[in-house]
Amino acid sequence: MKILELKDVNKIYNSSEIKVHAVDGVTLEFQEAEFAAIVGPSGSGKTTLLNLIGGLDMPTTGKIIIDGTDLSKLKSSQLIDFRMRNIGFVFQAYNLIPVLTAKENVEFIMNLQKWSRKERDERTFELLKAVGLFERANSRPAKMSGGQQQRVAVARALASRPKFVLADEPTANLDSKSASTLLEIMEKLNHEEKITFIFSTHDARVVKMAHRVITLEDGKVISDDIRE
Amino acid sequence: MIWKTAWKNVWRNRVRSLVVIASVTIGIFAGVFAVAFMNGMIVQRFDAAIDEEISHIQITGKDYILNNDPQIMIAGEDDIIPAISGLYGVNGMVQRTLVTGMAATASKSAGVQIVGIVPEKEKEIFSLYKKIIPGTGDYFERESKYDLALIGQDLAKELNIIRFVIDSAILKKLENQKVPAEILDKISVISGKRFPNEKKFISTVTSILSKSELREYGQLIKKEAWSFRENSRMTLTFLDKDNNQVSAVFRIAGIYDIKNAMFEQVQVFIKKDVLCRLTGIDENSFHQLIIRLNDVNQTVGITNEIRTRLPGLDVRNWKELQPDLAMMTDYVHQIYGLFMGIILAALAFGIINTMLMVVLERTKELGMLAAIGMNKRRIFSMIMLESVFLSLIGGVVGMIFGWLSVLLSAKNGINFAQYAEGMEAFGYSAHIFPEISLSFFILITILIIITGIASSVYPALKALRLDPAEAIRTE
Repeated sequence: MKILELKDVNKIYNSSEIKVHAVDGVTLEFQEAEFAAIVGPSGSGKTTLLNLIGGLDMPTTGKIIIDGTDLSKLKSSQLIDFRMRNIGFVFQAYNLIPVLTAKENVEFIMNLQKWSRKERDERTFELLKAVGLFERANSRPAKMSGGQQQRVAVARALASRPKFVLADEPTANLDSKSASTLLEIMEKLNHEEKITFIFSTHDARVVKMAHRVITLEDGKVISDDIRE
Repeated sequence: MIWKTAWKNVWRNRVRSLVVIASVTIGIFAGVFAVAFMNGMIVQRFDAAIDEEISHIQITGKDYILNNDPQIMIAGEDDIIPAISGLYGVNGMVQRTLVTGMAATASKSAGVQIVGIVPEKEKEIFSLYKKIIPGTGDYFERESKYDLALIGQDLAKELNIIRFVIDSAILKKLENQKVPAEILDKISVISGKRFPNEKKFISTVTSILSKSELREYGQLIKKEAWSFRENSRMTLTFLDKDNNQVSAVFRIAGIYDIKNAMFEQVQVFIKKDVLCRLTGIDENSFHQLIIRLNDVNQTVGITNEIRTRLPGLDVRNWKELQPDLAMMTDYVHQIYGLFMGIILAALAFGIINTMLMVVLERTKELGMLAAIGMNKRRIFSMIMLESVFLSLIGGVVGMIFGWLSVLLSAKNGINFAQYAEGMEAFGYSAHIFPEISLSFFILITILIIITGIASSVYPALKALRLDPAEAIRTE
């Protein structure tokens, strides 16, 4: 089932007199439960493309349609709400809320969505178990390793059962062991929860595990390999 | 969740938050205490003016106050008293006869206003009888074959009626009050000497004792050395109704102390019938009818009603008799509001500065929150709540400290004895009992919350203007 569609998406930045074509005519489709990596050298437009897909930025031209909704048709407040309900984010620097525990971080979006306490607890503990951090539910981020924090971030991204998760270089700050553990967990959740994962990455291990690899160069898709 | 997160965010940088809270606490404490202090001063001044000096309403003959002409009297009290006594809100009234004259002792003289009163009726309206310095007489209770007078402490000083003496009995008293032997030794050199006035006594004691000794024991020594011989004589000279000069000797049967030098220097009280006898004024006539009300808030209404009923007389209420006091009481809340407003504005700038730092430091986190779906209203609420928490914690602690300090200082008052002369010259007691109303505390709490909210607006707007995609990339 198609959950995400990009139609001839362009993003041009006008900085003083220089025009930067960060994303150049990208057309892509993503299906449910894909595990896709977007690769390319620095400056190829990976992060810009993820920002456009995540509704954090708007394309100069072209359309981005998520589950039948054209993002350009949404007002600012509707877009925030749409992101909350449909997209999970995992950032390179974890970006957990430092004053909240692992459990509170995971249930944060569920709280914003006004889930009941029972529903929140069930889902939070289910995800913390899935990422192997059930025992650390009451720990604050500062007391956890980078790998553990990123696992909490993955649990948070999945908490409200989004259509897909966008992960911007999720393993960039992790050692190889933590990165492997994280990738295994994400692959498992992708399989179990049927949630699409889209990564931007330089990491060969991520690329190796991805079921689909999209290569960008100068903002253009130069290859789109789907592996069996 | 927003509340919980905002609360936890307050304690993220504990030292910074505590510094802000401490500054709010100190500001509010200082504001509350200063307002309580000013309020205490004004309330004491107001109470003294009403209870001891002017009461609520005074009625005089037309133009009496303007011309100060003793011939302008109110006659036929039988017509006037019923016109007022039936008024709702009137607690009581008393008549006074007034003449100006000179008071003289063997060594000094001074211009005075001689007030003829009916002592037992006067006690129903004024509390002057409670202000007689113990040991100086019992003017309001005593019957005597002599003509008696009640004078103020400042006039007594002026006329050299109060003297200062150090003798063996005084030294013994001071010893019992734990005054060190070396100080007693020093002041014993003036034992047996009588000082005709306070100035000479203080000047001598100052030359004997060191500054620190004076600071510690000066007031006590002065208090014990204070000496007054009951029934001292004083001559009052004034004009009778036919403009003939009349002099009469009075025994001083009391010295009052109401902490108002201007009043004490001038007002001499004698019996109304004695004054009428000496001046030839009809005993049924009087210069002033003084009215006491049950409720000060009825002053203007009752004044107007009396004016309607007695159109031929001059009716003035306390606001017209002492406009400075009226202005103080009318504008006191605005003054407090302005005072607290300045303090709260200063605090607001501190909070704005802190919250701007918070937004700057948490740019990445705020970007992340916006990215994952926290809408602008929630981000605004979170920043606003953090400001309100900071303000409220500091404010409530400041108010508790303020309230405790008012409570403690109100018990025994704060005595600015060294400034007494200056303060009493303006009618203010140097012994101040701070007081504050519950409504003021409620007002301050509301103002603190408003300050917290107002202080959060600019930092919160800065947070809302962040572009999530850029903010997330911030290092």
